[in-house]
Amino acid sequence: MNPKIVFTGLGAVCGAGLKVDAIWDGILNGRSGIKEITSWDVSQWPVRMSAEVTGVDNRTLVEDRKLHKMISRTDLFGLYAANCAVLQSGLLAHRESLDAAAAVQFSDRSGIFAGSGAANYGSTYDFFPALAAAQGDLNKFGKQFSESVNPMWLLRNLPNNVLCHVGIRYNFKGANACITNHCVGGVLAVAEAAAALRAGEADRAIAIGHDTPCEPESVLNFHRFGLLAPDTVRPFDRDRAGTIFGEGAAGVVLEKAADAQARNAAIFGAYLGSGCTTEATGVLRLRPDGDGLSRAIELALADAGITPGDVGLVVAHGNGTPASDVSEARALQRIFGAAMPPVTGFKWAYGHLIAASGIVDLVFALLALRDKIVPGIPTLRTLDPALAPLAVSSAHQTPRSDIALLLCRGFGGMNTALLVRAHP
Amino acid sequence: MNHRKRIAITGIGLVTPVGNNAPTTWANLQAGRSGLGTIRHFDASGFPVRIGAEVKGFDAAAVIGNSKLLNYATRPHRFALAAAEEALADAGIRPTAADGHRWGFCVGAGMMAMNFDELQVAQKVCAADGEFHADRLLSEDFPADPVTFSRNQTNSGLALLTRHFGIRGYATAVHTACASGGQALGTALRVMRRGQADFVLAGGFDSMLNPIGLSAFCLLGALSADNNTPESASRPFDATRNGFVLGEGAGFLVLENWDAARARGAKIYAELAGDGNSLSCYRITDSPPDGDGPIQAMRQALADAGMTPETLDYVNAHGTSTMMNDRSECAALRAVLGGHITNAAVSSTKSCMGHLISAAGAVEAAVCALAIRDGIAPVNANYHEPDPDCNVNIVQGKSKPMRIRAALSNSLGFGGSNSCLVFRNPEEVP
Repeated sequence: MNPKIVFTGLGAVCGAGLKVDAIWDGILNGRSGIKEITSWDVSQWPVRMSAEVTGVDNRTLVEDRKLHKMISRTDLFGLYAANCAVLQSGLLAHRESLDAAAAVQFSDRSGIFAGSGAANYGSTYDFFPALAAAQGDLNKFGKQFSESVNPMWLLRNLPNNVLCHVGIRYNFKGANACITNHCVGGVLAVAEAAAALRAGEADRAIAIGHDTPCEPESVLNFHRFGLLAPDTVRPFDRDRAGTIFGEGAAGVVLEKAADAQARNAAIFGAYLGSGCTTEATGVLRLRPDGDGLSRAIELALADAGITPGDVGLVVAHGNGTPASDVSEARALQRIFGAAMPPVTGFKWAYGHLIAASGIVDLVFALLALRDKIVPGIPTLRTLDPALAPLAVSSAHQTPRSDIALLLCRGFGGMNTALLVRAHP
Repeated sequence: MNHRKRIAITGIGLVTPVGNNAPTTWANLQAGRSGLGTIRHFDASGFPVRIGAEVKGFDAAAVIGNSKLLNYATRPHRFALAAAEEALADAGIRPTAADGHRWGFCVGAGMMAMNFDELQVAQKVCAADGEFHADRLLSEDFPADPVTFSRNQTNSGLALLTRHFGIRGYATAVHTACASGGQALGTALRVMRRGQADFVLAGGFDSMLNPIGLSAFCLLGALSADNNTPESASRPFDATRNGFVLGEGAGFLVLENWDAARARGAKIYAELAGDGNSLSCYRITDSPPDGDGPIQAMRQALADAGMTPETLDYVNAHGTSTMMNDRSECAALRAVLGGHITNAAVSSTKSCMGHLISAAGAVEAAVCALAIRDGIAPVNANYHEPDPDCNVNIVQGKSKPMRIRAALSNSLGFGGSNSCLVFRNPEEVP
């Protein structure tokens, strides 16, 4: 029998806000964080929108200024979201109340699971001055690169920086992973954290997803593939034209319910199960029939020991690209048939955060359960008839139970599904 | 608790600086032959460090035989394709249309995306003066090539291999720097125990042996600069060690449920018996001098395998050949093994093949499995001057024939992720 696992801390930062409650208020009131890109001059660019985190100085994200030189922007978001979640959980105060031996044990049994975007273009651009100076002469480059490249370059750009620095900050020394699996990294971090708790490999864990995908070269490439919309994300709409990049992070603290209740922690919901598959279709392609996604949902339902009829709402991946949305609708129809629960998606509010996308959605799926509201998709005008029937709406709907299904998909034909339940 | 499905290693594939397949690699490691040398595949003559552990004479087209596929594969992806193919052929089993959804894939993948040639083109077009001008990306001079884009995504290797081999189940890629390969195998073990897959193709691949990767490690001062004596530049645990040697390659293992492997008459190298996973929470590049962090990971791995330290006959150490790492690892080994420290044979095969970064843990897991099968602890080459801070039982001079009941493989990464794996001799399986 698996121990019941609950969420006791939530943190998020994205283009729609710096606080979970503020972002949620925006979602409920139809406010979007999507705006024109400011990090470079896009006046000549064919697509110009993203959901950047703007107007926040780095010290608001991470107080320790010395650390800013050691990490990159995506790490700032990851550390910030982790801190919000850890503070809310009250775990640190709890550890302080323990005797010395118990505190050591507590630290050794606290895990960290990160889903990291990794591999961005901008970091390698740090070598441009050295390359320009060398003019293609590699011997010269070898002699001169150290004059222009920061000695900390490698460390700043380690994909596992958040894992490392969250560990150092809270002295969480237990089971850990840094997952670099494109969009599904954050969701897999949650699933692996829950699995570690179930298997007794850790007593509690923080799962984090963080990413900063909005770079010129990514925007150009995604645009050439027809993956980016000119204005906003319109999931499942007849006129959907693609997705929009967002950036940011989310962190969630997972604990065994018995432990959380014993220390009187606030509980924001329960983890029920997960499924993960690939369609084996390569980087970009996906199957039009939604095969991998339906299998991931079936695996998650089996893992949770529930049936499709138990699901009260679906937070869809809904990235607004023609191909992904159609295959997602097929998968939902295959699983739920005529009895489909209300479906929504949040990318209209904060864009597509790639490695962080699913875990940010998870935070708001939990709030949707708490408030018993399935937020409408304000950018939805006309449901694509090819996707009907699909229980999406521009108006708020009511969940039909206290269980949410969360879907997240990524390059490599990756599909993940998570099931979570409201805490009574 | 899902106690405790037994998992068998039934296939091994390797592409390393000492051999382009598993048998050659293993023969050379046993003989203590060095794969280290002056870097040949790009002009490293101007760099402070000009030596590395390159994969040599690797003919991807001959191994893969699919030129379209190779077009989508970077240098480390090609190593991965070859090693994975060898592992599946060795296991005598591979995913089919009927059971592909019961196959999982777990891989430790490197952090490099763009290759150096692509970066140079981008610099010429967008940063002729050294400063990046985003609008230049929009010019016709910039080759926005969909194939290049597909090669360079974080999970491109996963996408390529799952597609090529038809793996449709649980798939993941992890990166915890030098511990990535070990983490991938640990994840695979847990995925199998949880029943999320009946088979997993698990491993790692990497190549940071390019001008950017080499620059990055030179800046950190982590590499040995013994440019005139490359063959002895990696000397883990030796008192005169002065840094690691950057390597490249790939290693893959096929994991199956023990009973199923037995039932089909598969040869079993070893049981992948336990995984331990911790964070040092010390400093990002420094290793804790007292071994705190690695200690917990080793203990967990043993406990997970249901073993006592006394059954460990061989330790394949992380042993990078840096002052600090080797010292920290030995302190941890002493703490974990106690009085058994004088019995357990310890070697770092990085002495022959350098540090394969994200592939290291997977390749060294394969070495442990082969060491168990053949009853040989491979030599720690280039060990001459003992370091009192590394007072462990080093396999010195030549490889040591010995029955190995159980082996431990350590992977201790930048950022403090520690991944330790325990392997059990099939004859010791009750």
